[in-house]
Amino acid sequence: MATLDHPELRESLNILLKSSRPRLERVLRNFEIPPEDAEDILQDAQLTLLYKWDKIRSPESWLIGTVKKKCIMYWRKRRGSLCEAVDTAILDLLAVPQAPDQEKTELTYDLNRVMSRLSTRCRSLLNLRYGLGYGPTEVAEQMGYRTSSIRKVTNRCLAALTRQLLAVGFDQEPQGEPQDE
Amino acid sequence: MSKHPHPTLLARFGRGRLQRHRSREVVRHLLTDCDDCRRVTSHLLPTAEASARLEEESISPSIDTTDDMPELEYGPAFERSWREVKRLQITLAAERSEAFELLRELLIQPFERQWESVTDASRRHTWAFCDLLLDTAREWGFQEPGRALELSRLGVEVAQRLDGAVYGEARVHDLVARAWAGLGNAQRIRSDFPAAEKSFARAERLLKSGTGDPVEKAQVLLLKASLRGNQQRFREAFLLLDRVMSLGHRCDDSHLCGKALIMRGFLLGLANDPEAAIRHLTEGLQKVDPAADPRLVIVAQHNLTLYLAEGGRYCEAVRLLESARPLYYQIGDQMSLLRLRWLEGKIASALGHFTEAEEFLRGVQKELIERELGYDAALLSLDLATIYARQGRSAEMRRLAEEMLPIFKSQDIHREAIAALFVFQKAAEMERVTLGLIRDVTGYLKESRATWSLRSSESR
Repeated sequence: MATLDHPELRESLNILLKSSRPRLERVLRNFEIPPEDAEDILQDAQLTLLYKWDKIRSPESWLIGTVKKKCIMYWRKRRGSLCEAVDTAILDLLAVPQAPDQEKTELTYDLNRVMSRLSTRCRSLLNLRYGLGYGPTEVAEQMGYRTSSIRKVTNRCLAALTRQLLAVGFDQEPQGEPQDE
Repeated sequence: MSKHPHPTLLARFGRGRLQRHRSREVVRHLLTDCDDCRRVTSHLLPTAEASARLEEESISPSIDTTDDMPELEYGPAFERSWREVKRLQITLAAERSEAFELLRELLIQPFERQWESVTDASRRHTWAFCDLLLDTAREWGFQEPGRALELSRLGVEVAQRLDGAVYGEARVHDLVARAWAGLGNAQRIRSDFPAAEKSFARAERLLKSGTGDPVEKAQVLLLKASLRGNQQRFREAFLLLDRVMSLGHRCDDSHLCGKALIMRGFLLGLANDPEAAIRHLTEGLQKVDPAADPRLVIVAQHNLTLYLAEGGRYCEAVRLLESARPLYYQIGDQMSLLRLRWLEGKIASALGHFTEAEEFLRGVQKELIERELGYDAALLSLDLATIYARQGRSAEMRRLAEEMLPIFKSQDIHREAIAALFVFQKAAEMERVTLGLIRDVTGYLKESRATWSLRSSESR
């Protein structure tokens, strides 16, 4: 076991962490990781490298690759929790039983306006979900999707809706919002 | 229009850290297309460019930089991370220097005491001790499979007792996965394939909640490929090795790629394709770092020599054996030296140097029986039988058949194999053993070992 209680090995780790910093900074910037969250990503990757130092043969490549993967996971997780929050909030808003008619009308109007900017397919899917209160299996049946794939399609439509709601500035759907045929 | 949510509220919403009723208020407000708030929320998800990079990167992880990157200040994040690394370096170095002494103390105790020592003493529940114990267990796998199994079990116990709050839950899951894979490998070496199967399943489950470290994953897959090879499920084994190669390329780790090639070479040999085995072993040996894993190198050279000899390329085999001999002695463990003598015996037998061959093989046979390596002992006995058959030595053949009795009692021999050996024994008694029969029994033994393992794993 090559151990870090040897000063020369400790030094080589220190040199690596210094020399890899510019590349790591570029990765973080590339993925637009907020600086306040970059520390968690960096620290987690660097500590894992330290624990497994004698098992990893190309530490710099490993570190860069690990930080990239963590950046991807970071956004995937954030996007997922945000979409879930938006979906839950809309379902909650629509479910309030004692809401006055005018409030309900305004809510439906606003929701339809935001959804009108989505593809026809997403609009139809979300109309079934929010307008008619359909569950995933019913939505799949109505729209001709397999039950196994409806969750994925719904998530994509929710992501598209969330981006519209937050006005995240892009026109294209990089992760493939279901398109009209 | 409802009241604007405070920007900090929007930021917390963006992180999914808002209470449900607050979230509802924010979403209701955002549905009004409020421009002021949209200016704040537009930064909550990555831009189109970053999203595209995320997608491309997850498909083909090769992108490094682009020119139009946003100006973000990461200095403080690096500084704080660096301080944490320095702190851990000191802790881990202390743990590691203590680990050697703790292991030495453990290994001199009888096994029952060892079990108590690792389960009771929390000073042994450290990352460094566990790491060292797992490495030691792996080393013993080459020398004393029974000992390796005991140590691997201890390794699992220690790994499961590591504190996730101290070392990080995901990292601990990685190490526990490594421990289970090590145990699975020790069980494979002892031919307990059903148990090995279960251990690998646990290892893979744990990896899913681990750090996602590709090197860790590759090591588990390599060991699992070895199990699949022993079970003669070669297609699955090769698919696993393809994944290891791909992980190795991703981490720029040519040593890992070399290991995968060598493993493929071993399996091709088992699958009766010695020419392909020779190619892969040769290529793999060029990629691995001998200093990092001399044992792997010697095992690869050993198998390469064996396939060269079996393919009738004796000159190359002898040349390779001579160049590898110093490394056998440098590694110096009993199993490696035992296999060296077995190999020398096989080559001598193939070259017609029967006296020398018999001497080598006799010595090895005795030790294999003592170590309860029944299958190996049976296969080696059939190598001896080849010598007697070629020389027409019926009396020695009968004696050999009688001497094989202890092998029948070995734990790793199942009843179909015993039946095959029984056929051989009866043929020897009747002086009807031919080279063809020996080849058939050898082939049957190799094949039935795998079939048995498959059936056992399916029935559970």
